[in-house]
Amino acid sequence: MEKRPNWESPIQFVLACVSYAVGLGNVWRFPYLCQMHGGGGFLIPYLIMLLLEGVPLFYLELAIGQKMSRGSIGAWTAISPYLGGVGLASVVTSLYLCLYYNIINAWSFWYLFHSFQSVLPWAECPINSNRTGPIEECERATPTQYFFFRETLNISPSIEENGGIHTGQAMCLLLAWMITYLFIVRGVKSTGKVVYFTATFPYVVLFIYLIRGITLQGAFNGIKYMFIPKMEQLANPNTWINAATQIFFSLGLGFGSLIAFASYNHYNNNFERQAIIVSMINSGTSIFASIVTFAIYGFKATVNYENCLERVRLLLLNTFNIAEDSITNDNVFTWIEKLNTTYPVQFAEIENQLEACDLESELNTAVEGAGLAFIVYSEAIKNMPLPQLWSVLYFFMLLLLGMGSMLGNVTAIITPLRDFKVLNGVSIELMNGVVCLFCMLVGLSFTTTSGNYWFTIFNDYAATFSLLFVVLIEVITVSYIYGIRRFEKDIEDMLGHRPNWYWKIMWTITSPLLLIFLFVTYIVNYIRGGTPTYQAWDKELGKTVVKEYPIFGQIFIGLLLVSSVSCVPLTALYVYCQKRKRGNHLKRQRTVSTVST
Amino acid sequence: MLGKIFFLLCLSSAWAEDLCSKAVPPEAYYVRLSIKTALGDKAYVWNDNEMFLFQATLAFAMRSQFSGQEYNVSNIVVCDETPRVSFWFVVTSLEDPSRLVSRGDVEQAVRKSRNRINSAFLLTDQTLEFIGITPTLAAPVAPNTPPWLIVFGVVMGAVFAGILVLLVLPLIQKKRKKNQPMEDEDSDEETQVKTAENGPERSGVYNMSFSDDDKFTQM
Repeated sequence: MEKRPNWESPIQFVLACVSYAVGLGNVWRFPYLCQMHGGGGFLIPYLIMLLLEGVPLFYLELAIGQKMSRGSIGAWTAISPYLGGVGLASVVTSLYLCLYYNIINAWSFWYLFHSFQSVLPWAECPINSNRTGPIEECERATPTQYFFFRETLNISPSIEENGGIHTGQAMCLLLAWMITYLFIVRGVKSTGKVVYFTATFPYVVLFIYLIRGITLQGAFNGIKYMFIPKMEQLANPNTWINAATQIFFSLGLGFGSLIAFASYNHYNNNFERQAIIVSMINSGTSIFASIVTFAIYGFKATVNYENCLERVRLLLLNTFNIAEDSITNDNVFTWIEKLNTTYPVQFAEIENQLEACDLESELNTAVEGAGLAFIVYSEAIKNMPLPQLWSVLYFFMLLLLGMGSMLGNVTAIITPLRDFKVLNGVSIELMNGVVCLFCMLVGLSFTTTSGNYWFTIFNDYAATFSLLFVVLIEVITVSYIYGIRRFEKDIEDMLGHRPNWYWKIMWTITSPLLLIFLFVTYIVNYIRGGTPTYQAWDKELGKTVVKEYPIFGQIFIGLLLVSSVSCVPLTALYVYCQKRKRGNHLKRQRTVSTVST
Repeated sequence: MLGKIFFLLCLSSAWAEDLCSKAVPPEAYYVRLSIKTALGDKAYVWNDNEMFLFQATLAFAMRSQFSGQEYNVSNIVVCDETPRVSFWFVVTSLEDPSRLVSRGDVEQAVRKSRNRINSAFLLTDQTLEFIGITPTLAAPVAPNTPPWLIVFGVVMGAVFAGILVLLVLPLIQKKRKKNQPMEDEDSDEETQVKTAENGPERSGVYNMSFSDDDKFTQM
């Protein structure tokens, strides 16, 4: 049997973990949570949760991977044969993730390639066929929304209606999978070299954006808005729950990627220090990215506010035929009052056209997820000087973040498969190719016109509930079934010293309790939320409307949730049945077993 | 002769003043200029000379649309000039100063020479507005190959080449190794000896059954 490949140096391992953990969630989920839960004040529950569950669980997964030197299925089977299902659940969840995550990379490619134009396509509305004005759908919405929903996704009005595949999207998805294959084709040997770039370059871009962001007009408004803590939010239990779930998902626990990466380590690698370093880097990046995001938010809000004032000013000038330079953006409001008193009748006529321009409400519009990355950010970029450069930089960074995470996702599937002796004969290149091809073909369904709604289903349900369950089982298994004392000794064997009391308390008491609490809260929220709903794009109104999932959608959600979670009990049942069969077989042969296990 | 011209001029100016005091006729078009928005610091002051230029350019527009008909500045009647720099105008017909040229004809003339009118005032379609005459937007520039496809092609080609290199290179290396079996055997043995001297080999399966966790026999 061939020797297990290793990382060429510990740095590669650390960078691989950083590349995996630092992903799109740091850029588009954390700033949203910060905004929702009181700005700077959110850092308190966030850092507390990092200490209580983030770092200990990260440490735990690395320890298991490094000790067992196998992927998730093999590692958990070795810990307890009945719990091999935990590894299988991880692989299934990673598979779901792989299916839909590369679509985001496809969108990043699409935007990146469209940045190479003299006028960015999302800067202006395209003109309709009569050449009388912009396309109506674009007029009702904004050019950036139109570009995302119509030209990028070609989205249908609801999940029931479907159309064909968007060829541009399909091509970008093909490219994304080809690049993923290129990065992982030789396993750790190729991944190890790629992560030098995917882990470090995003920081370069973030830094450049930081400088650009804080020098933009109005950036300070955004940063101020973010950092002024609203302490009353700390009393809201949702703040703490969201902090816990964000830490949890941001570190990528439970997918089996960390176990897979650690399995390629040398036995005595000091993973304790590396676990702390990577977790800190991950959280630090989130905070850094949200400073940049809020600077850009502030800029966008200020630009929108100024444009709003400009429109009001023009309206006043044109209605009352006043000289152009008498009303400026600064004295619009004084003029409104003056004109209201002097010409009340005329003023009443334009009352409904008069917009209420408010900087605070512009800053309040909080967006998360793909909406933030692709709509809000591209809107901000189009207003910057030399927008093509900033656009290329930004989407390239998104690509690196997404690709880096994909490396971990695909490794989490391939490593356990490699461990099966059955597949040893197959060359690693061929197996990787088959996995990538399979994921790509299924992923093509997300490029159809209703594909984005299916993507949202996967994004919201495929990995959330099952991960909480998987990690809960993981930590309970290690602490109580395998035994914390045995685990301690294993770590001592690897590192040379035992983990101190802090780690042991976290593993045995705090993290399980926290996870149980999150798990129960998730179920309660799901049940109380009633029928799950989604945001559908309405082309008549030019905005998103809330719709309920149809029956087949809800069944599919249920299947997603159940399919990965059920791996654990089903595998346990299967192993139990196998053992009983073997036990009966042995009894029939009447051999006395001298080996005491 | 001179007397006749003088009489007509007096009549037309009197008629013009008459027109302005009445209600806005249906043939009139509102015009609005936003000079300061367009030119900022380089904005010129709107005065009678500028108004004369406007009348002249409109007369030019009418002439170019209806060739042979010699419209003059006096045919363009401008009323209700405001500090905003907005006003309305009508075009009186050549034969009879009391008749006004129809809206449609004026619109055609303006559309045809819109560019020239705009450039006379260093303005654009958005800053020199004829209310009611929507500007014909420029046809979008549609290149034969969309630029994104070109970039896509380049990147796709590079990735494809990279994959080929990564797949084919080890095959070539293997072939080279096969051609030099003798020299490699000695080095292989050396490396094998070296690995044997190292720490415990970790490629095997860790068998949990035989781990001695209980060093002391339990009572």
